Amino acid sequence: MATVLVHVATAAGTADEISLQALTFARGLAAGGDVHALVVGDEAAAATLGTWGATRVHVANHPSLGAPAPDARARILGDLADRLGADAVVGPGTESGNTILARCAARAGLPFAANCTAVSLGSPTTLTRLRWGGSLLEEAALHAGRAILTVAAHAVAATETGGSAAVEAFTPDLDEADLAVRVVDRVAAAAGGVSLADAKVVVSGGRGVGSESGFAPIEELAGLLGAAVGCSRAVTISGWRSHTDQVGQTGTKIAPNLYIACGISGATQHMAGAKGAKKILAINKDSEAPIMAAADYVVIGDLHAIVPAISAEIRRVRGA
Amino acid sequence: MDGGAIVTVPLFLLVLYVAVGAFLVRATYLVRLVRAGRASERTGDLPVRTAREVVGVLGQSKLFLRLIPGFMHLLLFWGFLVLLPTIAMSFLGAMNRHWTIPWLGEQGWFALMVDLFAVGVLVGVTIAFTIRLGLRPVRFVGSYLQVAYNILLFEASITITLFLWHGSQIALGINEFPPEWAPVSNAAATLLANVPALEVFERVVVWIHALLILAFLVYIPYTKHLHTLVVWFNVFFERTRARGRLEPLVFDDPAVPEDQIRFGLGTIADMTWKQMVDGMTCTECGRCQDACPAFFTGKNLSPKLVVMGLRDQLYREGHAMLAAADGRGPNGAGGAAGPIFQGRPLVPTAVLDETVWDCVTCGACVRECPVGIEHIDHIVDLRRNLVMVESRFPAEGATMLRDLERTSNPWGRSPTERVDWAAGLDLRVLEPGDPAPDVLFWVGCAPAFDERARIGAISTARLLKEAGVDFAILGPRESCTGDPARRMGDEYTFQSLARQNVETLGESKITKIVTTCPHCFNTIANEYPDFGGHYEVVHHTQFLAELIRDGRLRPAPGGGTITYHDSCYLARHNDVRAEPRELVAAVGRPIEMRRREERPFCCGAGGAHMWLEERAGQINEERAREATATGASTLAVACPFCTVMLDDGMQSTGGGLVVKDVATLLVEAVERGRALPVIDAAP
Amino acid sequence: MKVLVLIKSVPAVAGRITLTPDGRAIDTKHLGFAIGPHEECAVEEAVRIVEAHGGEAVVATLGPSQALEQLRDALALGIARAIHLVTDGEEWDAGSTAAALVDAIRADEAESGPFDAILLGNEAGDSGGYQVAVRVGRALGRPTVTGVKGLSLDGGTARCEQESEGGRDVYELRLPAVIAVLEGINLPRFPSVPGRLRAKSKPVATSQPSRPAQGLEMLRLVVPQGAAKQAEVLGRGPEAAPAVVAVLDSLGVL
Repeated sequence: MATVLVHVATAAGTADEISLQALTFARGLAAGGDVHALVVGDEAAAATLGTWGATRVHVANHPSLGAPAPDARARILGDLADRLGADAVVGPGTESGNTILARCAARAGLPFAANCTAVSLGSPTTLTRLRWGGSLLEEAALHAGRAILTVAAHAVAATETGGSAAVEAFTPDLDEADLAVRVVDRVAAAAGGVSLADAKVVVSGGRGVGSESGFAPIEELAGLLGAAVGCSRAVTISGWRSHTDQVGQTGTKIAPNLYIACGISGATQHMAGAKGAKKILAINKDSEAPIMAAADYVVIGDLHAIVPAISAEIRRVRGA
Repeated sequence: MDGGAIVTVPLFLLVLYVAVGAFLVRATYLVRLVRAGRASERTGDLPVRTAREVVGVLGQSKLFLRLIPGFMHLLLFWGFLVLLPTIAMSFLGAMNRHWTIPWLGEQGWFALMVDLFAVGVLVGVTIAFTIRLGLRPVRFVGSYLQVAYNILLFEASITITLFLWHGSQIALGINEFPPEWAPVSNAAATLLANVPALEVFERVVVWIHALLILAFLVYIPYTKHLHTLVVWFNVFFERTRARGRLEPLVFDDPAVPEDQIRFGLGTIADMTWKQMVDGMTCTECGRCQDACPAFFTGKNLSPKLVVMGLRDQLYREGHAMLAAADGRGPNGAGGAAGPIFQGRPLVPTAVLDETVWDCVTCGACVRECPVGIEHIDHIVDLRRNLVMVESRFPAEGATMLRDLERTSNPWGRSPTERVDWAAGLDLRVLEPGDPAPDVLFWVGCAPAFDERARIGAISTARLLKEAGVDFAILGPRESCTGDPARRMGDEYTFQSLARQNVETLGESKITKIVTTCPHCFNTIANEYPDFGGHYEVVHHTQFLAELIRDGRLRPAPGGGTITYHDSCYLARHNDVRAEPRELVAAVGRPIEMRRREERPFCCGAGGAHMWLEERAGQINEERAREATATGASTLAVACPFCTVMLDDGMQSTGGGLVVKDVATLLVEAVERGRALPVIDAAP
Repeated sequence: MKVLVLIKSVPAVAGRITLTPDGRAIDTKHLGFAIGPHEECAVEEAVRIVEAHGGEAVVATLGPSQALEQLRDALALGIARAIHLVTDGEEWDAGSTAAALVDAIRADEAESGPFDAILLGNEAGDSGGYQVAVRVGRALGRPTVTGVKGLSLDGGTARCEQESEGGRDVYELRLPAVIAVLEGINLPRFPSVPGRLRAKSKPVATSQPSRPAQGLEMLRLVVPQGAAKQAEVLGRGPEAAPAVVAVLDSLGVL
């Protein structure tokens, strides 16, 4: 039995998916002990966390927390962990989760393990975590009285317990120094569209697309499926699409229900970002390309002929 | 001595002085430019160089790659040579109608030759005008056409005035030639017999003739006709070592100060003297452009325009460069601390960026050039500057170069996967300290990592085993030879790979290497000696042909109709043309394509283009269509790049020929042979 | 403007990863090394800052002697000098790495003045710890932003952009600050050869810090076993479209 505190990121009344996975993961760590969740500001989201297995939810309300401030969150999390005497502090293995938990560890002078896939609390705590964007696993010992870690995205599926939790609001102590790093402005992205990281379907193009304009049929298919458009590193390096569309170890890591990879050879760097996909459909001229071995479904041939044919077929089926 | 000589001699000498002086001013400028050029090692091999003068210049061998223009040029060239003494004769004649060259001026045979060759010149000029104004071939696009017309008009009018002068002399009965030996001049004399004041006419005509010659002399060094004076030099100093070899740059010689290190061609100050003479020799004939696969498929590149562009910028900025070298200003002003020469960048001033990257280094231009211009050296040198100094080149090339540096192969694949292609073949992988095999099979990156390219390597390995050859591969210790880096212009990465490979090969005491890749072949055989690597390097087609000759492989024909595609780096750069054909003939029925042997058409992959995006038309499709037109069932290749490029080309053009490495066809033939009863049991 | 960029030399892994027999490291017998991808962009960013504002860019790393090569790579791009904390090849965890770097930064600043900005990659390409930047920032008491995809320095502030849902979050930090950048913030330039040759003679200060007890102690590495699966070929060419649409339907994404 252990006491575990989970940092849950929320947006407009909803807890984020990776945080819910972390919460599920934390239940295992607690092994019957208390699972505390920390939410900043979002009472509506906090109210839902009981069903996801939190035994107690803490809502930090502070007039200066309207905008993201990672140091402030780290302090709130650390102070709360101290107050609760938490054995472990857990966060989602996302960009912001990692930075908040790392800051929390730095404040406490404790080690921090990012992107864990398995953890066994103890003295020392032993854990497995991702390296090389998941191409390699590390088994490590965490020598600390309190384990501070994040849970790798998609390491576990978020599951509901149907339970309920007491929600308790509090006002954290914050100094000016904790708020020195905070978002002061927001720039909207040029055009709307489905975010790559969250998309349920992603249609990607690789070197085989051949040009910037070659993406038109891929955009068309993505539009029909409500999918996000992605690409491989070869594409961004050639300047055909912006780096924000890049799927890969050094780009966006995706986890759609279906990944449609067109003209992508499936280099390791790319597959590191696509391995979260539940199903992969590969369209490629080269039946021996590495992507074919990773795919669930394969169409062999020129994507420039096949992709428009699929779009046409979708229109035909829908029209019928 | 007739009385007029008191006037004519000083007058003519004055004219001669002015004309020759004007010529020498320009000639001195050109010579000073060449002397200011960067070093280029061109010594040795005197017999080869001499033979080239005889065959290439006097014999006009390369001009006869095109029959009619070749004949046209032969007439002009030999006409010019034979008529040279008449220049001196006319100068003497202008000063005094009775003066001529002693003895020669009186020889009937010489009179006959002058008449015949002068007629030849007029025929040549007529053919040239017919080609230029009538046929208007594409190869002249971008050349200075008016200059060419001026030159032809000079030649025609000099020749016509020569006839008029000789004719009027005969008519006046003052010529030294026996008239019966000069039929054309004699005919002119008949026509001129009734001209009033023929004595004056003769004076006027010889002066016009001589003044035309002197005006032409002044004009020549400003025009492409300069080639007549420098072609001797340019052909003599043409490279004699393998055509596929590039001149190494020296980065780490302590004797070379840092500011003297040459990183290719950025401004005219970086040009080697040979590159300068190349430009001065260019006749703008466009034979290079006509043979260029990039130009043929609609790219920006014309090798002719590259050479012309560099030359024109050299002429434009040369004065400023020489002035800076002298430590004085461009107008002769300035003191000891003269200006530093700030040449404009050759790219994009003389040559556009895109143009530089269109080249596949196939060597067709160099092969076609009748005057010894080495276009590849210019283009690779421009790339060297763009890559190594400016860091300005196609982004996809940067991926390749980074991958080469990090993983020692241009696809960024793991070196540990280098032996994957050989799974199940049970090949010996040479570990450090192992005894050296008879032959090292240098696999190359394309066969190691590309699914289609590897079939040729697998076939070769199977044949070597079949023939009982003692061979091994280097496996993960093999690195890219550096060819794509070098042809991209990244000499630095090339040299580090070359040194690494030479060290590995040396440690394993390798003496003989067989490879399926003509690019590896070229680099190891022709370029590694510059880095201390000396091996006997054979292409797998050569090695396999020898195994057949020795009876160690017994192919049976039956492979159908096969058309063989010559790889540029094999057939043109390295003269390997017979052995692949021997193999093709041993396995099936050969059908040749029009563009073949030393004049093949590239597949589009050379010069690092395997890793660059092709803009405009596709070279591989053009070649695939040519192969399809032969009606053969199989397109045989002997290069892993050609395999991939032409297979792609076949697919995109719907050509239907099966693309196979010669070695793969040989495996099939050997298997057919096994099914037949063995008649000759001798080993 | 004085900028420090912290880099890590990582094996140039491509494709299949092979481990050493003891399973404690990647087998680099046939591999080269490279600056981590995020750090490569941090180096480029540092060079651009100095090009725009003048000043000096310095690079530092903690790593084995072979990491000197990656320091030279950075020097080739226009960084003025390097600091190399040489290890014996044993891996250091992020906490001790940050502590050693902080010591070196303090020593260097005491001697040649403070850095206006310290740039890092968001996470190390190999170990992926996500924490050296915040630990350095915390120890030095300087504001720290991670995940930076856009950066501009202006007088005494750094404007840092971070990608977020549907846009970009903007942070404004008072300098001196610590900034961890993500790949994609720029396209790193290709090193020029004159730059590489000059790099050979640029100063590299070395020291040998001793490795403290590890808070996060790596025990061994494991190559994950990809589940072997057989792909279903839906067809060749455009004729496969109906089969594809049937699959889309069965997956409920139509």
